[in-house]
Parts: sequence; structure tokens; C-alpha cells
Amino acid sequence: MASDSSPNFNHGPSSPDDSLSSPIGNTFSSPGSRRRRRSSTPSASATPSERRSRFASSEATPTAPRSRQSVGGRVPATPTSTTDDVPASSDGGDGYDMDDARPTFVWGTSISVEDVNDAIHRFLRDFREASSSQADDNGLHLHTEGKYEKLIRQVIEVEGDSLDVNARDVFDHDPDLYTKMVRYPLEVLAIFDLVLMNMVSRLKPMSEKHIQTRIFNLKSSTSMRNLNPSDIERMVSLKGMIIRCSSIIPEIREAIFRCLVCGFCCDPIPVERGRITEPTICLREECQSRNSMTLVHNRCRFTDKQIVRLQETPDEIPEGGTPHTVSLLLHDKLVDIGKPGDRVEVTGIYRAMTVRVGPTQRTVKSLFKTYIDCLHIKKTHKSRMQVEDAMDIDSGPGRNEDGVFFEEEKVARLKEISKRPDIYEILTKSLAPNIWELDDVKKGLLCQLFGGNALKLASGASFRGDINILLVGDPGTSKSQLLQYIHKLSPRGIYTSGRGSSAVGLTAYVAKDPETGETVLESGALVLSDRGICCIDEFDKMSDNARSMLHEVMEQQTVSIAKAGIIASLNARTSVLACANPSGSRYNPRLSVIDNIHLPPTLLSRFDLIYLILDKADEQTDRRLAKHIVALHFENPENMEHDVLDISTLTDYVSYARKHIHPQLSDEAAEELTRGYVEIRRRGNFPGSSKKVITATPRQIESLIRLSEALARIRFSEWVEKDDVAEAFRLLEVAMQQSATDHSTGTIDMDLITTGVSASERIRRESLLQATRNLIMEKMQIGGPSMRLIELLEELKKQDTGVSEVHLNDLRNAIANLATEGFVTMHGDSVKRS
Amino acid sequence: MVGPQYDFLSNPLGAVRSTFDTAIASGTDPSSLEGRDWGALPLFRHFLFEQSRISQVPLLTPTTIRFVRPNTLVRFRGMIQDMPGNEFYVGAYKDGSMWRTNKFMDVLQSPICSSADTRIWERRLLYCVPVPGLSPWTEVSAEEFGNLSMDWMSDSREKRMRDDESSDMPVSCDKVQDSPNTKRMREGEHSSAASHSSGAATDIASSTTSLGSEIVSNSPPCIVKIYDSPESEMKLNDIFEFVGILTSDPELQEDNEDGDLSDGFSEDTLRHFPPNQVPRLHCFIHRKLGIQDFLQNNHTVEPKPDLVKGLREALLRHLTTILGNDDVTSHFMLLHLLSKVHARDNGLAVGKLSLNLTGFKKETVSVFGKQLTLVLKKLLPLTFCIPLTVEYLNTVSLAPKKNYDTNRLETGVLQLAEGSHLIVDETKLEAGTLNSVGVDNCRLLKNLMELQEVEYDFKYYKMDMKTDAQLLVMSEGKSNILPADVIVPFQPSTLSYSEAVTPEVLEAWRWYLATVRQLTHSIEPEMQKVVERDLVAARQADRTLSPQDLSRLVTMGRLMSLSYGESSLSLEHWQMVKELERLRKQRLQ
Repeated sequence: MASDSSPNFNHGPSSPDDSLSSPIGNTFSSPGSRRRRRSSTPSASATPSERRSRFASSEATPTAPRSRQSVGGRVPATPTSTTDDVPASSDGGDGYDMDDARPTFVWGTSISVEDVNDAIHRFLRDFREASSSQADDNGLHLHTEGKYEKLIRQVIEVEGDSLDVNARDVFDHDPDLYTKMVRYPLEVLAIFDLVLMNMVSRLKPMSEKHIQTRIFNLKSSTSMRNLNPSDIERMVSLKGMIIRCSSIIPEIREAIFRCLVCGFCCDPIPVERGRITEPTICLREECQSRNSMTLVHNRCRFTDKQIVRLQETPDEIPEGGTPHTVSLLLHDKLVDIGKPGDRVEVTGIYRAMTVRVGPTQRTVKSLFKTYIDCLHIKKTHKSRMQVEDAMDIDSGPGRNEDGVFFEEEKVARLKEISKRPDIYEILTKSLAPNIWELDDVKKGLLCQLFGGNALKLASGASFRGDINILLVGDPGTSKSQLLQYIHKLSPRGIYTSGRGSSAVGLTAYVAKDPETGETVLESGALVLSDRGICCIDEFDKMSDNARSMLHEVMEQQTVSIAKAGIIASLNARTSVLACANPSGSRYNPRLSVIDNIHLPPTLLSRFDLIYLILDKADEQTDRRLAKHIVALHFENPENMEHDVLDISTLTDYVSYARKHIHPQLSDEAAEELTRGYVEIRRRGNFPGSSKKVITATPRQIESLIRLSEALARIRFSEWVEKDDVAEAFRLLEVAMQQSATDHSTGTIDMDLITTGVSASERIRRESLLQATRNLIMEKMQIGGPSMRLIELLEELKKQDTGVSEVHLNDLRNAIANLATEGFVTMHGDSVKRS
Repeated sequence: MVGPQYDFLSNPLGAVRSTFDTAIASGTDPSSLEGRDWGALPLFRHFLFEQSRISQVPLLTPTTIRFVRPNTLVRFRGMIQDMPGNEFYVGAYKDGSMWRTNKFMDVLQSPICSSADTRIWERRLLYCVPVPGLSPWTEVSAEEFGNLSMDWMSDSREKRMRDDESSDMPVSCDKVQDSPNTKRMREGEHSSAASHSSGAATDIASSTTSLGSEIVSNSPPCIVKIYDSPESEMKLNDIFEFVGILTSDPELQEDNEDGDLSDGFSEDTLRHFPPNQVPRLHCFIHRKLGIQDFLQNNHTVEPKPDLVKGLREALLRHLTTILGNDDVTSHFMLLHLLSKVHARDNGLAVGKLSLNLTGFKKETVSVFGKQLTLVLKKLLPLTFCIPLTVEYLNTVSLAPKKNYDTNRLETGVLQLAEGSHLIVDETKLEAGTLNSVGVDNCRLLKNLMELQEVEYDFKYYKMDMKTDAQLLVMSEGKSNILPADVIVPFQPSTLSYSEAVTPEVLEAWRWYLATVRQLTHSIEPEMQKVVERDLVAARQADRTLSPQDLSRLVTMGRLMSLSYGESSLSLEHWQMVKELERLRKQRLQ
């Protein structure tokens, strides 16, 4: 291949080809010149000679922008000199009259066209993925095909019109070529296209398809803010967000004129410098009438063009600045690749264009409009914490790189952080640093952010990895702030307030499309936060109906819909973070959690961690707070020790861990887990007490596994260690001890969570009921006068019934129970035996 | 140094050119320059500051814009309202064999098409507007220009004919303008978007139609082109004084886009600012302005404790009479007026002290509120008044919003310069329904109050901009829309009456407020212990005290000692704060 293209190559410029007369006319530097070049001869590859001529013209193009200047002001065109070094030699200036022996240089540089040509050729032919490249290096026609040869074949097969070339591959193969490509993209890409066409025509001789090279994944990407004049005419890569798309503009490429007199149609005339020279004389010798040519619109060739405005992503904007924007010029297949709001990574050539004062005036303003002539666009993900599901990157036939989202140095930095021994503490501190104390709650939230491993067994059973957390607490204990913070941090976080959420708003609802009449499913908050965290504020204020919808979501992680002709099960793999106020606005420690928050126990048991945030008077805490506040006011904030990660690092850290770390239980940890679980179960058995209190349910062991996995993730560890399990137990206990303490016995009592009544409480109620019944039997006759509750209470207290401390409320409950038996009737506060 | 072969004031470009030629002659390669300064700036700096000629440079206002010829040196004071981005221009080019520069110019002197040797440089664009809410007293008196512009007039008379065409617009706006207060309201009503898209002309013109009470000569918006300064130096909403060349080239006015690419690239920001309405300023030197820079006679007096104490007492007395002999309120008011965000910690703005005066009725507002507003306007350089009504909330655009069609950041009421004072009058609020805009606006106000941040709407995302504004809320009961740091029930005992205050006294008070605010402050270790102990005790005694409450107490302590011009907190002042807080608590019960 190399042997037959090189002669061609040298041959081209030397042959007295017709096209040599036009290179100057062919010079243009307006946008899209590269494409124009490509399409200038549609039948270029049909015959060898034509191929040569295509080459000649495209070889002229690289030299064009500069050679024009040497030719003199034939055109009032752009000064494209850019910032290239001033040419040392003048021999490149007129590349056309070189003879065979001398190498062709790209004008103004020491880049030899032949060298580049060969280098590209070698790259396309020989490049293999790193693993296999060594072995095949020496053999040109070994059995294994080069990566790009294979890709070219694929492109031909699918009749694609572009070949995606990974710039990193180019760099790996030939750093010198990479440098040249980035530095002189117009020239090198023109040669690239040419080599590619040669290869294509060799593989499929009759192909008329034009395949373009699309470079992507440059080694370094620039920030939009840092684009400066020295980047002009260079290949750049930048990230941003599309904010505006123009409509698709048909741009004429070739025009066909017809003589009005004789009807003769001329050959297609390509666009030059953005203009088409209309023939003034009919080209047919017999006719030759003047000014008779007219454009035949429907025979002209047009291509799509679109102008898109790209804006900096918010994270790149410095404080006190506004986002910068840049225009992108898209052609052909790239048109409509993104819509406003999409985040993209763009590879292209940065170009500048003069601004003319008026359409008719030749004087130009001293200003340039800059834009990026796009080569490749890739959609990237949002800046939020990234999620594990498949990404819809548009990488064409190229391979789907997984690691692209995390740049290497970033990953290295994250790993560096993860190695710190106090990483757990640091992260805890970094989470909502402006909220005081509540360290254990923050630790729980941290676990929720990292999440456990979701498991799907072959049998179809699946275990959720998401951790659900409920915060219950007094008003003003920054629950909502915590929630807001987590919402900001989490992937696809949805924040709703319980009062404003309906069942369908949370799950999904079926609606009739007003236009088509089709039934459509509209996703609610939970479905929308699939693989994220759904934050529900004011959980207690939510309607029961809405709350009951959460049952399925929180354990099965799906939302099932069966109505209006649609039966569907939507994924809602979401962690729920809810917060609630106690039923009376303050937490009443005498009542159980259930009584305090009025949540159905079924739902409550689905929360892995239930935190009671109670405002306890603690002088130690207060002193620290006071110290902090005073320091805040009087010390220079820069001097203050800030050993916390900023929110973007934290986000990166969390998302990297979620994406790449999948910890497994080590044997040791598993053992510890079993031991610990048995331990809590056993704790329910009081020595010498016959009553059995259930202390933990199987749900808790799942919670524990999830928590310990999350804890391992925090350390970037692939193995769950014993310590993780110990910490998971601690977290559960801290949460549970607060929330599931039976206030009469002081032990953990899961019954309290699951039924709302503790075992000892049940016994106490039973005995109270019995005592009341006895009392009433004793004191009152059927149909006799009624007694007031207070009196009854007094009587009860007088009697030594073994029931210690009877409250009016307890008594009222007991009486109500008796009333349901029909034993008594109750009117307000008076009780009557019936 | 080049001698007086050019006049800095009337021919600054001459200085630019000659220094450039000198630099080239001495062997500087234009390509290595990359737009950096070649020695012109030190010259100007020397001229302006060391020879203190800055006062001779005319300040750009609607009055002066008539006299100022293009391509002369002018001053402009404005707030950076938007940053349209960077601009690439032909910085240097070879005309024949001579290198010429195009820096500080808009249009090429000669066509460059044939020249291979052009160098592209970069400059920054800033869209600056007159500082919003600027009180009338900050304006430089008219006579001062008068003298100056006379000289200009004399030698520019012949050229007046030509100049008129480029500046005939501003002539019309040199009229009466209503007070910033009412203007603000009006601007809000027809969501300031309109005023911007239609340009300065209609904005100013329309404002002349409404009832004007005070004569405010406001300067027009201006596009400032910045060279040689790092990006980090200038931030959105900063107030700057720019000294540079005013250009207004008639040729640029027929700014039609050329046909072939206009369809897509027409989003050129500048297109929306025709040069005859928005002058261009090529900036040589810029300097950031603070509150104190707006004082008339900028005497740099050392804030001596005696002097400060005297001023404090007098001002406090004045405030007390204005507030109907309400001593507690006037104390809080003084602290409030001195507050300023001096540090930020994890989104918490430290040092702010927003004040909510409750107990206002519709009648009392018309008496005390009006007086207070007037006095504050006289005392502070940047003041606003927002009358909170349902209709206002539902229609006004408080937050700046990016318009991608024009590629402009459309300003909102809350795009405030640092150190602005905002009065929110909640007494006019009546029951009604808020629409989504209203709800959003409420949230914005709340955020501003709590975090000193305003969320700018960039359509696809929001960006929090840090602000530093003093907020004063007047309401009947405690305001729930605007949770202020301090709530003080206002209890006047007499009617408010305004004393006649001499301009000198007023000036001294302004100086006091602006200067004392800037003082640095520290705390002694012993005092720190006392404060900490007190805070712990307070929290032990009252569990409802939040960290914010404690933080506020410390802020008050800091402001109290600042108000005496002292740089460290003393026990006496701390006791005063505690006493003040006690009195306030008493009122709340």
C-alpha cells in the first residue's frame, strides 16, 4: 500500500495537471473549507488520474492560506497567518513548481507532506491495541488486522461516512504525528483524509463514498476561558454545554448553471472562498452567449450546516464571573447531534474570521469572530455524581471507553485521598460542614451516598443496595438542611416535600395524551430518582395513601402501575431519605417512635437507619460551638484550618466509588456479621426473664451488609473488613438505640418498630386492662351511676394492682378497649357500666 | 520618557502610538508582545496619579458626553453588569514596512488584507452600567464639569457638527430623572428586560417622563474593553472607575452583519449595543471603587476614637429623633448600617446583620418609614427600596437572567453592588396568590437575607453569586418571607420629625459610616473566653438559641466596638450588646 501511494504522491504535483492552474483560486480559509475540499470532486476515486488530481488540489489547500499571502492581495480575504512562526525558508511558498526530487512542505513549516503522509499511512495500517501491537510490529501483512483497518472495513460495510480516530491512539503510535496534527490540523487532516481515501479505494475499489476522519479524545482538553489567540488554527478539545442551536442551514457546495439560451448545463462548479463564480459566458462553443447562465437549484449539491453555541459548564466559571461562550460550526453528520442543555465534549479546530463592516465594504473591522470548526462531538454526563447504568455516549464505531469520565490525574488524586487513614472522618466532616454536630447522622448519610452493592441472583431474587434513612427530630435541628445538602450532592436527586406530594406524583401516573389520545406513563419523583436519592421532607405530613406507595419502592425497588390499559413495572432503584417531625411538634421521649411520628410500622421497618435527632443540652458541644463562632468572627478565614473536601471533590469521590468500587464480604467480615447478628438476637433474652423480645429482624442483617459495603467503599476497598462490619453495627445501634429503645425496659426492641408496641408495654397494658376491669366490676353496677375517669384513676392508684404509674391516657386506652368489648360505655370523661 | 509631543487628555492615542514606535524601534518583536503592554500604561499612570491629573479627566455622564470628543481620555464609573467575553482583534500589523498597533482602537486605520504580518491579540469586554441605586449626593457637582468642558468646547467647536451625529442620542437624556427609588420600582414593573433590550436611550428617555423629584445625572451604560489585566481582578457587580479612550466611530454604526455567515454567528453580543447608544471605552487604567470612594471630599482622615465617638453620638441622636425617640431601635439601626459581610464559611456569610423592624402600620410607615428612607438615602451611597406587594412579587424579575437569544445577562433588581442598602417595605403586602414567579422571588429574597447570595438564572443551571447587601425590613409583624437576623419591635414614643442637618454634618456622617465599616477587628484572648463563656451560658439557659443566634450576638459585639472606632472588642461593648439584646427580648414578649 505504501509502495503504491507514494509514487502517486510524488507524481501528483509534478504532473502537468489541469488542476494546477487553479490552486490559487482554490484557496479559501473560510469555515468548512476542509469539507469543501473533500467534496470538491465527487467522482474523485473513480480513476487513478482523478484521484491524483484530488490529491493535488487538497495538497494545495494546506499551503493555501499562507500561499495566498505570497501571491498578493488578490482577495480581500482573512489574514490567516495566525501565530505560526514566520517561515524561515521561502521554498514552501510556491509548492507548485517544485520538482520531484524536493520534498513538499506545508507552507511555513518544516513539515514534509510526504513524511506526514507516510506516518498517517503507517498509523492506519499498523496501529494495534497496546496488547497486541508489539507482536505484530514487524509484520505488515500478518493475520491480525490493525485496529483502524478493521474500523475502515466496518465503515465501508455500513456505508458510513466517517472514521473516528482516537487521538490517543495516534499519540501512542507516533507522538510526532500527534503533535503535528494538533498544531497544523487543517493540513494534516487533509492528508489524513487523503490517505484514508486511498485505503478505502484499495479495499473497495469502486467506492464513491467519502469518508472523513474524525479525531476525538485529545490528550489535553482546554478550558473555554483559556482559549487565546495562540490557539487559532489548532486542534482543541473542550467541554461545555450547548445553549443554542441554529436551524439547519443548507450550504451550497456545488452549483450547476444552465444556459438560458441553449439549455446547456455546465459542470458542477465548486464553492470557492464561500463564493461561486457564475460563468459569464455559455461554455458551449456553439452558443457562447453572454450573461445567460442561470442557477439550477435542484441540481446543486447542498450540505447541512448548523451553528451551535457552547457555554462553559458551571464548574469552570470562577467566582464572580459569567460563563464564556463559543460558537461551533457543525457539518453533515454532526448536525443536530445535541440539543440545548446537553453537555458535550468537542474536538475541533479553533478558527478566527474577520468581521466585515458591511456586506459591500471591503474594509474590515479589526475584530475577529472566533468559532470552532467541529470534528467530533461527544455527549458527556452531568457534573452530578455519576451513576452506574449504561451511558449513552456517542462514540460511533469506536470503542466505548469506560474510564473517560474520570481523568487520570483526578483518579490519582481521589485515590490519594482515599489512602488517608482518617478518610472516614474527613468525609464526615466534609458532609454539610455548616451543620453542627450530628456526626453519627452524617455518617449514616455518607453510607447512603456510597450505597451498598445491589445484588441480583440468578433465581431472579434481587437485593437492594440502596440504604434508606429516616430522620426524626425536633423542629430546628437542621434536618431539612441536611436533606437539601444530600439532594445537591446525590445523583438524580429529587427533593419533594411530603405535604405537596401525592401518590402519583411520587410514583408514576397514566395520562392521556391530549393530541394523539394515547395513554402515556408519566414518571413521578421516585422513578425519576432511579439510582439516586429521593429526598422527602415533611414525611409525616404526607397523606397515608401517598406513603403506602412507598412500600413497594423501598423494598422491591419498582413501581407497578396497572391502570388505563397500561400494566407496567418501572424501576425505582432509589434510596429514600425522609425526614419527619414528631407528631406533637416536639419529640415526646415518653412515647415510642411510632407514637411520635405516626408512621405505619410496615413502612418504618423498611428504613435501614432511623435517626432521632434530638436537641440535647450538652455543655461540651455548646462550648465547641461557641469557640467556633467566635473564631469565625474574629479570625481570618484563610488561617482557619479547613480539613474538609469541597463539594465537587466530594461528589467526584462518591461517584468514583459508586462506579468503580464493588466491595465483597471477606470471610472474616462475614463471620463477624453472623456473630454480631446472633449477639443482638440473643440480647433480647433477659437472664431470668421469660418474656422474649425480638431485637433484630432479617431485614436488619441486610441493612448491616449494605452499611458495611458502603463503609468499605468509603475507603475505596474492594473487601469489606471486620472493622466495617463493626462500624455498621455501631451505626445501627446508635440509630436504633435512639429509635427503638423501649422506654420501660431500656433494651432494644424491634417489636416497637414493627408493631408499634413493645413486648413489655403489651404486658403492662394487659395488666392495666385487667386491673381496670376488676375495678369496674367491683365499684360499679350495671346501669348504675357513671364515674369520671379521674375518679377511676384515683381508685386505681389506691389499689395496689401491680401496675405502677398509671396515666390518664393509659387508662383511657384501657377503658376504650373495654368499651369495644361492650363491658362499659364511655361518654366524654364519664364511664358507665353497661 | 517621551516629552509632551502629545496631549494625554486630547490625544491619548498619540501616546499609545509613540510608545509603540519606541518599543519597536528598540527591538521589541510585535509577535512576542502578545498584547502585553509596551510602556504606554506606566506613562498614563504617571500622568494620572503622580501628576494627579485624574480630576482633569472628564467623567462620562449624559451631560458631558455631549462635550467629550471621541478618541479622548475620559473617566467612567460603573458597575460591571455583564461580561460578554473576550474579543480577538488585530493587535499589530505591518503597514508597508512599519509595524503599527491597533490596541485601544476599534477600527483599522488602513486595510490589512494584503498584510501577512498581523498579530491577533485578545481583549476583554465588560458591559458596565451606572451603579444601581446611587444616591444623588454622590454625583460630582455640575460646575466641576462645566469648567472642564468649556476648554473642550472651545477647541472642538468646529468638530461639533460631526460629533453631533454620534452623540445626538445622549443629548435627549440629559433631562430630569426621577429618584433612583421610584426608578427602581418602575424598572421592576416592566421587568427590566425591556429597558435593556431597548438600550439606554429609551430607558433614560422613558424615565424622564415620569415624575421627577431630584435631578440625577446618570451616566450611560458603556462597553469597556480591558487590556492587560488578569481576569480574576474584575468580578461581576464590582464597581470600577475606568480611565480610557472613548471611541464612537460613525463607520461602525452601520453595523450590518455581512451576509454569508450572519445567519448563525449573528449572536454577536455587541450587535445589541449600537455604538451611538452605548459608547465604547478602551480602558488604560481601572481602579476598584468602594463605598468610601463615593464621598464628595475624599478626605483621608484617621478615624480617631474621639472624633468617631462624637460622630457616633450625633448620628445616634439623629436616628433616635427620626425613629420617634426609640432608643433601642436606633442602636440596632446603627449596628445594621455598619454591617458588612467580612468572611464566608461554608456558605455562611459572617458579619451580616439584617434588621426587621416590626410594628409598622400603614399609617406609621408613611410617617416613620418615609423619614427613615429619606435619611438613609442621604447617608448611604447605594440605596434601594422594594415595596413588597403581591403584584410586585408576581411580576418583577429580581434575579438576573441570561437571555440566550441576545446573549445578554438581563439584570434584575437584586443585581447589587457590594455594600448596597436595601429597604423592603412589607407593610404594603396583602393577602393574595403568588404565582410561580412570585414564589421564586420570595425564595430569592430569603436566600439573599440568609446567605447573602443571589441565584442568577442561566436557564440550564443556576449560579449563586455572592452579594453583600444590608437588608432592612419594615413589617407589621415578624416577616416570614424575609427572616432577618434581628427582629426589633419598633416603639416610637413621639412623632418623627426631621432636624435640619447641615451638609457638612451629613458629610461627616457619611464618612463615618463608610470608614468605620472598613476597619479591621480582632479579639483579645481573655475577651474571647468571656464571650465564649457567655455564649455557652446563654445556650444552657435557653435551648432554643440556634448557632445563628449566637453568631448574631458576636456580630453585634463586633459592630458595637466598630461603631466606636475601636479595633478590638472590649468588655464594656460586649455588655452593651447583651443589654441591648435583653431589651430587645423584653420587647418581643
